[in-house]
Amino acid sequence: MIAGVQRFLSYLGAVLIALVTRPRYGIETLRLMQVIAMRCIIPVSLAVAPVGAVISLQGVQIFQLFGAERLLSSFLGMAIFREYSPALASVMVAAQAGSSIAARIGTMRVRGQIDALAVMSVDPIRYVVVPGVLACVVITPLLSVLTNILGLFSGWVFAVPLGGIDHGAFMEHLTEQVTAMDLWVGLMKCAIFGTGVGLIAGFLGLAVERGAAQVGKAANDTVVSTIVLILFTDYVFSVILLEAGL
Amino acid sequence: MRGFSAFVFRAVRAQYTSIPPREVFVPQFVDAGYGSLMLLTILTFFAGLNLAVQSFGPFSRIGAQDMLGMFAGIGGVRELFPVMAAVVGGARIGANVAASLANMKISEQIEALEVMGVDPIRYLVVPRIWAVTLALPLLCGYCNVIGLASAYGGAVYQLGNDPGTFVHQVMEQVSAFDLAAGMIKGAFMGWGVGLISCFHGYSIQKRDGAEGVGIATNLAIVNGAVFCIVTNLLMSWIMYG
Repeated sequence: MIAGVQRFLSYLGAVLIALVTRPRYGIETLRLMQVIAMRCIIPVSLAVAPVGAVISLQGVQIFQLFGAERLLSSFLGMAIFREYSPALASVMVAAQAGSSIAARIGTMRVRGQIDALAVMSVDPIRYVVVPGVLACVVITPLLSVLTNILGLFSGWVFAVPLGGIDHGAFMEHLTEQVTAMDLWVGLMKCAIFGTGVGLIAGFLGLAVERGAAQVGKAANDTVVSTIVLILFTDYVFSVILLEAGL
Repeated sequence: MRGFSAFVFRAVRAQYTSIPPREVFVPQFVDAGYGSLMLLTILTFFAGLNLAVQSFGPFSRIGAQDMLGMFAGIGGVRELFPVMAAVVGGARIGANVAASLANMKISEQIEALEVMGVDPIRYLVVPRIWAVTLALPLLCGYCNVIGLASAYGGAVYQLGNDPGTFVHQVMEQVSAFDLAAGMIKGAFMGWGVGLISCFHGYSIQKRDGAEGVGIATNLAIVNGAVFCIVTNLLMSWIMYG
């Protein structure tokens, strides 16, 4: 346990040093960003779009109890922008990008490619881990912008045509309650969750020693530990934001 | 896609025409159910707390902070806790299943079974599908309990809501039907996750090597999670729409 923490801290230090010093591998980072964005875009959209629909589906009934269907859209907007779109988009990025980064690095370990890089005096942390971390940090907020739109749209579909709420009232309360702050809070959360995904995937991928079974285990552990981290951080964030009154 | 439907056809026919061998089923079931308990306890604990804390802000903006119990009852028990149990539990179990099958495939253990005249679908795939199908509904029910308890803790001890109002609203909103609905959803999602992860693990070939294990794990996690979320929407639509 303590040895593991120690290894993680020294890994974190190595990543930080690699971030601020040369050489940097910009092309590799851009390539990874493109790969991750292309791979994540469909699963993330498919996973987050139904959430807006579920909120509307259940919300229409609750708000009708109070005769306050008008407020549904402001609730939907806040829930999507602040909470569900960032959290779920990051969970899906962890599932797709995190596990594939960990599996890729683990496979490179098994094949001895990481050692080969080190022999060629290319630091594996710089060349393999840091681009993955940077790509996750940049791509997660971008995907969350897309899922914001999709979530609102699917919420609209289940509220207006299917739920029988007036379109004008829906749009009016949506723009009235959702502020730019909600959007920024969501994007900031995504960037932080994305950092966690990239760091954990790199660490667990490098920890693979030999054998195909460990590659699968690294991919699995990455997803599980990242999701726990995301939910925990999300809770801490909510408490901080509530205290700060944002 | 054609490969998937052929696999589903074979697996489902085997699933309902034979009894899974006990020595494979029991360890798989224990791993799927008991093995996920710790993870899901931590996860739902934070999700429940978060549900209370994050909804407190918006609700107090419209002066309805006493509605937290109703929100935790409907949003949590009907949707959030079962879905989270299915997505995260399914990711963990599905990844294990896919990785173990893929590993057997690349180390030629599956061919060895076939040589011995044992049908790998009946001997390896069917017990795993049953294990996930039976374990996920139990996990969904368990998550409902933990999630509600932690939402109560968050609302009462952290945010200072009235405990009586919270319990009253939960009792009023959450019916036995809602709890049963969560577990029925869990059974369907578990069945789908089992089929998807077995398919991805089983379709790896020997030449894919260690990379193939990683790919199978990744596909099992992602497709399982998407399947759970989409199924949840469809089933909620049918049951509550």
